[in-house]
Amino acid sequence: MKKRFLKPTEDPLWLRLFLGAVAIAFIAILLLLPLALVFKEAFANGIGAFWTAIKEPDTLASVRLSLIAAGIAVPLNMVFGIAAAWCITKYDFPGKTFLVTLIDLPFSVSPVVAGLIYVLVFGAQGWFGRSLADNNIHILFAVPGIVLATIFVTFPFVARELIPLMADQGRDEEEAAATLGATGFQTFLRVTLPNIKWGLLYGVLLCNARALGEFGAVSVVSGHIRGVTNTMPLHVQLLYDNYDYPGAFTVAALLAMLALLTLALKSLLEWRYADELAAAHRH
Amino acid sequence: MSLTVDSVAKKFGRFPALNGASFVAPQGGFVSLLGPSGSGKTTLLRILGGLEFADSGSVRFADLNWLDMPARTRNAGFVFQQYALFKHMTVADNIAFGLKVRPRNRRPSSADIHKRVTELLDLVQLSGLEARYPSQLSGGQRQRVALARALAIEPRMLLLDEPFGALDAKVRKELRTDLRRIHDHAGVTTVFVTHDQEEAFAVADLVAVMKDGRIEQYGAPADVRRNPKTAFVSEFLSA
Amino acid sequence: MSAIGLKLFPLRSRHVLPGFRLSLGFTLFYLTSLVLIPLLALVIRPMELGPSGFWAAISTPRVLASLRLSFGMALAAAVIDSFFGVIIAWVLVRYRFPGKGFLDAVIDLPFALPTAVAGIALSTLYAPNGWIGSVLAEYGIRVAYTPYGVLVAMVFISLPFTVRTVQPVMAELGLEVEEAAATLGATRLQTLARVVLPMLWPAVLTGMAMAFARAAGEYGSIIFIAGNIPAVSEIAPLLIITKLEQYDYAGAAAIGVVMLAASFVMLLALNGLQSWAAKRR
Repeated sequence: MKKRFLKPTEDPLWLRLFLGAVAIAFIAILLLLPLALVFKEAFANGIGAFWTAIKEPDTLASVRLSLIAAGIAVPLNMVFGIAAAWCITKYDFPGKTFLVTLIDLPFSVSPVVAGLIYVLVFGAQGWFGRSLADNNIHILFAVPGIVLATIFVTFPFVARELIPLMADQGRDEEEAAATLGATGFQTFLRVTLPNIKWGLLYGVLLCNARALGEFGAVSVVSGHIRGVTNTMPLHVQLLYDNYDYPGAFTVAALLAMLALLTLALKSLLEWRYADELAAAHRH
Repeated sequence: MSLTVDSVAKKFGRFPALNGASFVAPQGGFVSLLGPSGSGKTTLLRILGGLEFADSGSVRFADLNWLDMPARTRNAGFVFQQYALFKHMTVADNIAFGLKVRPRNRRPSSADIHKRVTELLDLVQLSGLEARYPSQLSGGQRQRVALARALAIEPRMLLLDEPFGALDAKVRKELRTDLRRIHDHAGVTTVFVTHDQEEAFAVADLVAVMKDGRIEQYGAPADVRRNPKTAFVSEFLSA
Repeated sequence: MSAIGLKLFPLRSRHVLPGFRLSLGFTLFYLTSLVLIPLLALVIRPMELGPSGFWAAISTPRVLASLRLSFGMALAAAVIDSFFGVIIAWVLVRYRFPGKGFLDAVIDLPFALPTAVAGIALSTLYAPNGWIGSVLAEYGIRVAYTPYGVLVAMVFISLPFTVRTVQPVMAELGLEVEEAAATLGATRLQTLARVVLPMLWPAVLTGMAMAFARAAGEYGSIIFIAGNIPAVSEIAPLLIITKLEQYDYAGAAAIGVVMLAASFVMLLALNGLQSWAAKRR
């Protein structure tokens, strides 16, 4: 019955179409095309060929190594994340900001530098290089080095998730438990843990995804010995450099599926447990 | 050039915020929309300002079909409860905003804009604070800036949405008096939403008591107080 | 350590909750052995070169070219991602359309996808016979194995940072200031330009800084699509690895120190930005 025009807070149609098209095109071309390509190349010769490529001994070895590295790094970092978040949020002491900066460090450092620092400590010309060689202990170019590098690049994830969450939740419940006679561990297990379980899961999810997918840091310490010291990402590189594109994309597709699963779980957690995740996620 | 509001109605989803509100105010009058929360007073005000669209009904003002015009062209100054000042701009830039965004043929020169800003700052008693940012002002000062900003465009209608709601009692009284003084000086038709009946009665020429999206009673403050027409009105006023 | 601990924290426990020494001790132990000591090695190692040796190590044409490439392209990528990031965030926050949730989740793909996977995918995509590369080749544009390949990979890897820093700020903007601008006579475009965008500025800069930091240090997604030709398309992290393979530990560490210093400067700048933004609120 009357001319209906835009509310003052709505963009005109032409602008909405234009910006929408730009956004969607940018995302499709930049992000979705590469993803599609990975799967297309992996399954180019059918599912049979895909499975055969996966069952290749060196590929299986790389999967095993990735799982071992993540299997050690993630639980350790989970414990660290809990300990760090606990002491930072439940107590007051000088130097907290420095501690938090230190925890954030792996995020701002190049992955290659992350690997480099371990070479400088454990490498042949590193600090402990000689004594390690004398005792026939292999850290670099062997599994321990890979595990160390993986731990370094992934340890912030759980801590960074828990610190704002636990800071937000305050100390009241824990203090109540303390007055009721609970020990530290009891307080943590019965009072804190239930409150942080979804945030913890979220942090572990991200930590795990990064641990399985880390490339730069592990590449530096690995030695790239086929079938022995190659994680899945390194194996992808090896196959690609040897022009085995179907093989390379097969392993890549495996990693991509893991990434998509991580994204799906992440979205699910964000959607259902928005309140129990760190304040930063509540958008 | 009176303001004629005729059976304006609006639903949000299935919730009827306005159920047919009507009133007439003379040119230059000062009307207060008074009522509890949920009575539809803010919705009506926002419809007058062009920030919401009515489902039915009409408004005539200054010989115009008011509801057929977008907010931008109505020249209706709006003052928000939470000020809605532009935090990244100085006080002077906030006040000058309405003048600076005018198309070139209607835009005053910068000298004129500067003069006008200074005059307005005097009017709202904030002279000398041109270069401050909103974060450096008190609540009362911010609302004065918001008022000056709305007045800068020489509005033909001034709309205020519980403008003093976020302020303490003493500041409210001061601002209330200043608002009345400014209104009398400028002669602009003013519609003022509040839930505080003391405030409404102190400042307005005409009071519309609203409930459930309808105007229960409309008239001069003294008349409404003496002759409440419905049980709700008498209860609301005696509370 | 615990003697000092007892001195600082006398026997009368200063902390209400138990577990302080255990949690702090474990945290410090973890951080010291995992982070501080190795970092110390990084900082100390170049010292054996002496100041002039250090300078010589990082000022060879090849090293300078790699630093220029890594930092220069990272800056370009950060700007590009900030521009598109604001548009994407606006569309995600303000518009409604089917599939928006999916699009929102996909933004995090570069975050979740292993860099090597992104690397080979981008390389194949932009190669002269790839899906996109072949289209560009018709216009004479080569991306793969050139510095532009580095740029494309960096734009890919940094996008989530620019979108996710701006998105929550946009969501919290509140519509009143836009309404106020409209009542004052501003057109929609004027409102967006003079009121909305300036309020987003601190978040945009923060996102740009984070995107820059990430792109400058990136390795895995870049080395497949770059040409890795020294002094042309060789990024600094690759040069570090090359030097390590040549057992030039000090040289590699020198470059590492430069990159670490750049990261610190970035972190400080970011913190400065956050407090500036907080003051304007």
